[in-house]
Amino acid sequence: MDDKTNALREHVKGIFSNLELVLGWEPGYDPLHTRPFYVRTESDIDRLTANCLSFQNLTRYLAKSMNAVDPAADGRKIGVCVKGCDSRSLVALIQEKFVSRDRVYVIGLPCRGTLDARRIRALVPDPARIRSVNAEGDELVVETDRGISRFALDRAIARKCLQCRYPNPVIHDVLIGDPVTPRLKIDAENPSVAAVEALSLEDRLLFWENQLDRCIRCFACRNACPLCVCQNHCIMETRMPKWITQYRNMNEKFMFHMIHALHLAGRCTECGECERVCPVGIPVALIKEKINAIIYEMLDYESGIDPEAVPPLLTFSPKETGI
Amino acid sequence: MSSKSDAKQEREIKIVGFLCNWCSYGGADTAGVCRFRQPTDLRIIRIPCTGRIDPLMIVKSLIQGADGVLVSGCHPNDCHYAVGNFYARRRMEVLKRFLPYMGFQSDRFRYTWVSASEGQIWQQVVTDFSETIHRLGPNPGLHQTVDSAPAVSWF
Repeated sequence: MDDKTNALREHVKGIFSNLELVLGWEPGYDPLHTRPFYVRTESDIDRLTANCLSFQNLTRYLAKSMNAVDPAADGRKIGVCVKGCDSRSLVALIQEKFVSRDRVYVIGLPCRGTLDARRIRALVPDPARIRSVNAEGDELVVETDRGISRFALDRAIARKCLQCRYPNPVIHDVLIGDPVTPRLKIDAENPSVAAVEALSLEDRLLFWENQLDRCIRCFACRNACPLCVCQNHCIMETRMPKWITQYRNMNEKFMFHMIHALHLAGRCTECGECERVCPVGIPVALIKEKINAIIYEMLDYESGIDPEAVPPLLTFSPKETGI
Repeated sequence: MSSKSDAKQEREIKIVGFLCNWCSYGGADTAGVCRFRQPTDLRIIRIPCTGRIDPLMIVKSLIQGADGVLVSGCHPNDCHYAVGNFYARRRMEVLKRFLPYMGFQSDRFRYTWVSASEGQIWQQVVTDFSETIHRLGPNPGLHQTVDSAPAVSWF
């Protein structure tokens, strides 16, 4: 049992009488995964875990699975565990009034990066039989049936974490653990976006077509996204208006991802959930990261930082010229 | 080069024009009433206001093979609904900068402001845009299958 998990359990035990439930993580079906967990009773608290496998962004349950706007009759709050990136999604949900700040008790967990199960499986000799995964300092120790492998943590953590600019929660009621130094400066160029932009225009089209050709339109990216809040009204599935047909061709696949990206323009907080859940490994978040870079350059705005701010494409300024 | 010019003659160029009812549609009408010579590539769709423009309409047009997309509305500060084009301006500028990242030629999309009295300016806009699209040639659209693609490594 690591210190972070212990500190989290101790803290939740202390305040649980004031909370309706706590959104957290528990160990999953194998050592490579945790799963989202609703702590509803005192005895559930000992199942909570918080480590480098706590990759799910729990704020999506606030917007999609429960009412986090109206106060409870008994005044109790909903506790939610957030990493740095998750806290930005929470701020964006507060901005758009899907969550009310008074309704949630935010447990902040500074994060050094979450592991990418796909990358770990590629690194170890016997990926089907992983017995345990532990981070020891800057090393990751993976035990399989064929012995123990050790490698640098940076080789196993998710792409979004390697370019993380907000490892510490931007809003929180309590912080569990010490703040972490960000890997990139706030105004730093996004290295993955730069890698795509280094290609010629024709190559970029081929690159995206090659990536998006794998898309099976399972909608996992949409469902995992905390800010894809249209649910039954999502235009991917409505027949009226009919934006997407059921034909299986490049036009439809491309259009699907353009809809997802453009509906998140100025809202996406780069939590990387869309990319993590993609069953065919499309770098879905990479599309949105470019739009964020454009908006940062054009309007000097970053989503999910200031709960009072209005997302830039939902407002305007008559003064701006030249655009 | 020769294949490109052959392709140019294969089919006529089609440009989709989204024109705001109150200014640019009137401007195009003025140009017609004044009998200004205009290219015939433009297919006009009348919209209530450029604020009605969803950037996805532009993307969908380009994906489905439109050779160019022109959006035109009232000048900023002159919107019939006061603020519609202020919203549109931000959205369309984001889209314009985003298109090349996905591999689209951003020159195939243009947005501009033309008022109902500016028939002459409308003639210039549409002639100039049509020339640009003719220079680019027909929109090849997306490849339906990809045999080899460039690799990108980020980390």
